[in-house]
Amino acid sequence: AQQLAAELEVEMMADMYNRMTQACHRKCVPPLYKESELSKGECVCLDRCVAKYLEVHERMGKKLTELSLQDEELLKRMQQGTGTA
Amino acid sequence: LRDFLLVYNRMTELCFRHCVCTLNYRLLTGREESCLDSCAARLVRANHRLMSAYVGLMPALLQRRAAEHGA
Repeated sequence: AQQLAAELEVEMMADMYNRMTQACHRKCVPPLYKESELSKGECVCLDRCVAKYLEVHERMGKKLTELSLQDEELLKRMQQGTGTA
Repeated sequence: LRDFLLVYNRMTELCFRHCVCTLNYRLLTGREESCLDSCAARLVRANHRLMSAYVGLMPALLQRRAAEHGA
């Protein structure tokens, strides 16, 4: 079970990495293929993009946990309500 | 668990795309933070509603299909 969890985590990290790459490429690298080198602006943009994406990922995780805990509370209260009624 | 984690990744991507528009700073701005919070809450509620609609409609559809196959 621990091994499965570890494998799943790796898979999800890879999935997140792919999505991040796609998103940052769209935001920072315009589809102009005159030059093969990245400009300084594009490089800086990519650095910032990665930093922001990872922060968003963390924030989403916390928010999801918070929301699912709220739902659990609500369900418990509903069950208690129907139990006593 | 796998599905949940995939939804989590998709949420991150979607909300990042919609809420993070400027890449002038390394840190998230206040506006971006509140946009992300709303985005997360909305997606979760939309998902719940979708699920309940699906659960409501699917059994009837499956029954109809089974009846068609039987006939």
